[in-house]
Amino acid sequence: MALISLVGITKRFGSVVALDNVSLGVESGEILGVLGENGSGKSTLTKIIYGVYVPDSGYIELRTDGLMRRAFFSSPKEALLSGIVMISQRPQLVEELSVLDNIALFLGYSRGRTRKIVESTMSRFNIKLNADALVGSLSYTEKQLVELVKALSFKPRLLILDEATTYLPRDVKARFYEALRTFASIGGSVIFITHKIPEALEVCDRIAVLRRGRLVRIFSRKDVFSIDDLRKAMFEEVSPSVATERVEEAKAEDGKVLRAEGLVVLDDYGKRAVSIDELVVERGSVHAVVGVAGNGQKELCEGLSGLRKAVEGRVVLDGEDVTRSKASERASKGLVYIPEDPFRTGVVLDLTIMENIRLFATGRLSSDTVKKVISELRISPPEPRIKSYMLSGGNLQKLSLSRALLLNPKCMIVHNPTRMLDEASSRQVKLLLRDSARKGVGVLLVSEDIDEVIDVADKISVIANGRIVKTLPAMYPRLREEIEEAMSTYA
Amino acid sequence: MPKIAVVRRDLPPTLSAVVRLGAALAGIGIAILSISVILGVDAWTVTERVVGTFLRPDMIRYLIVFLPVGLGLAVAYHARLWNLGAEGQIVMGAVAAAYVALFTPLGEIRVVGPLAALLAASLAGALWALLPGILRAYLNVNEAITTLMMNYVAYSLCNYLVYGPWRGRRVYGYPETDLIPDASKLQWVHGYSFSPWSLVIAIAFVPVIYLFLYKTRIGTALRGYGSSPAAVELSGISGTRLIILAFFVSGALAGLVGGNEILMYHRKLVPGEKIGAGMGFVSIMVAWLADLNPALMPLSAYYVSALHYLRMVMQVGELTEPVARFFIGLVFMLLLVSIFVSKYKVVIRK
Repeated sequence: MALISLVGITKRFGSVVALDNVSLGVESGEILGVLGENGSGKSTLTKIIYGVYVPDSGYIELRTDGLMRRAFFSSPKEALLSGIVMISQRPQLVEELSVLDNIALFLGYSRGRTRKIVESTMSRFNIKLNADALVGSLSYTEKQLVELVKALSFKPRLLILDEATTYLPRDVKARFYEALRTFASIGGSVIFITHKIPEALEVCDRIAVLRRGRLVRIFSRKDVFSIDDLRKAMFEEVSPSVATERVEEAKAEDGKVLRAEGLVVLDDYGKRAVSIDELVVERGSVHAVVGVAGNGQKELCEGLSGLRKAVEGRVVLDGEDVTRSKASERASKGLVYIPEDPFRTGVVLDLTIMENIRLFATGRLSSDTVKKVISELRISPPEPRIKSYMLSGGNLQKLSLSRALLLNPKCMIVHNPTRMLDEASSRQVKLLLRDSARKGVGVLLVSEDIDEVIDVADKISVIANGRIVKTLPAMYPRLREEIEEAMSTYA
Repeated sequence: MPKIAVVRRDLPPTLSAVVRLGAALAGIGIAILSISVILGVDAWTVTERVVGTFLRPDMIRYLIVFLPVGLGLAVAYHARLWNLGAEGQIVMGAVAAAYVALFTPLGEIRVVGPLAALLAASLAGALWALLPGILRAYLNVNEAITTLMMNYVAYSLCNYLVYGPWRGRRVYGYPETDLIPDASKLQWVHGYSFSPWSLVIAIAFVPVIYLFLYKTRIGTALRGYGSSPAAVELSGISGTRLIILAFFVSGALAGLVGGNEILMYHRKLVPGEKIGAGMGFVSIMVAWLADLNPALMPLSAYYVSALHYLRMVMQVGELTEPVARFFIGLVFMLLLVSIFVSKYKVVIRK
């Protein structure tokens, strides 16, 4: 029995067609995956169901009192009233309030009544959380769990997850999936948006694949298909997996391009977030810092790049002490930082693609350079004159990464560069990192993804509670086990 | 029940300009109609006066003020720096120009005198804007408040001079200086009160500011700074320097205009309120009517100048001051509606 159907939905942003005549239905008690590469229209689709965007043509039908009726949502509030709740990549919570108050605010109930509902939700879906904790004190992972409890406490008919589990550690992901299955088993419907094929395969009953705004195919559990079929539907061709070549031999000792000594950096609340005795990035190599999210990675990157002040210690770039230099000075001296969040700090959303590239490029900029950057990073749509805010998250991230191609860095700090990217683009970025290293750049890759780190790094450090707890060469036997152990012991 | 919703839209820039232009013209039409209907004034008389004003070169005297100041403000507003101090920057430009023309030997030299006076005026305006700029850049002091307050400081400073040490010997006790030497005066076009040179300078800034904002790296960074300061900073461009540059440019253009007001129009320093005459504030509207786009600024400045002039000439016969104010209020309200229409659309679904 269908709960909601999209009929012939089309949405344009200026000259960009984000969705092209998409029709799709979700059954009651079903987990429907929506899979697609970056910029394929997944987020636009959810935003239309959630009332953030109004489609240019087409409509939505929703089962109301046993009948399919046309529904028109012009705001998320109206979607909520029809029993639709969305959880997105970023937690939508008030940091200054407790978990319970946040949920009470969302449900519109008293604290006492909310507490009862929250407790029953947590026991039913097997989620453990301290309801009285201040949201501001929680990690990203815990905040996403709060979002899940908040959404389920609302008792929705349709739950939309827009890449909500992408950044979660594996064990938390499993708990999320379990809750989703329980929710579906009691008749709830789920739309699960992702660009990761394994995620979709693990949890979804059916998988709808979008490519460039069109619905390509719907795969069902009942069908027999291979991962390659999915890949083909997603990317049009099966890209050969690229084994990244690596310079195995140890680097010369004098090649230190970036050095942090006794570095102490505070977080937004004035707490010590980073405290590092020594961290060295060598020319022509990729040094990875891996750890569970929220262990000081962001503060480390910002402290090194100059966006955040170091309260103690020194940062030395190519033999020059830059501890007192502003971020812009460090950038012009060849220290390029690519933050994990392209929306706020990576790219200027109000400017066009070309204008963003112009910002990054010193000296004259030819249109050939712009074209080259766009094609090399496969930014889609490849139109230099469109405003960046029309790009999807992944394509914004690629634009942010174009700095690496344009600023001629001596050293690059890259934070979770592939988190928002699909397989093909991730591979592209990993190649870009290796390629930069081969050209002599020192790369500091700060990441939560062990696979990625093992894939590209020459040397791997584990960060926990703002400290480097272990550093291993990539050649180390039992590397993955050692890293996983260090990550979980100290965190 | 039909549902009505207001949703955002992105009109292409050309279409957006057409919508505004259409609204500007339609606004005048509706204003004329409503005046003749409500107040019983003959529609033809009003139309004649309105169309006449738009076609008469007299209003160029105002265009020469509004265009450069609007361009300068656009530079600051693109970076979301709220310079509300154009009025004071104009006054300080006027003071500097009067000083050069009256109290230095340069004032007696042709060409060199006016050029030196205008240069000094630009510098004075820029420095006057720089103070709030520096406070904002280094101490994060809210620039809207400081620039606004400095308007009144500039008034007072100017008034102190014309009531005190600079008061002229041949002005019968009026609070003003003596006339500047003839060599410093910018000559009028015969029959009007503006100089062709001032007009040329004003228009020359249109391409300059446009190219700066849209074709240079620093200009592009300025436009992005307001929404994403960190992204700009990480591109290797110092935010502190951008803020200072934005205030310097917008102050310099306002100062230049103030200097020009002395050399071209007043020909002496008068009290601050008479020099600025609120035109520094009206320029804020000029900048926004053009959507901060330098290429559209001449059109926006022309429109506002004509209405500004209209308010003065309309007060004749049955068209009294209140009618004139009513008229202009109505026109601007319709223009606001057009801005809304170009950014949002109303959707009705059953």
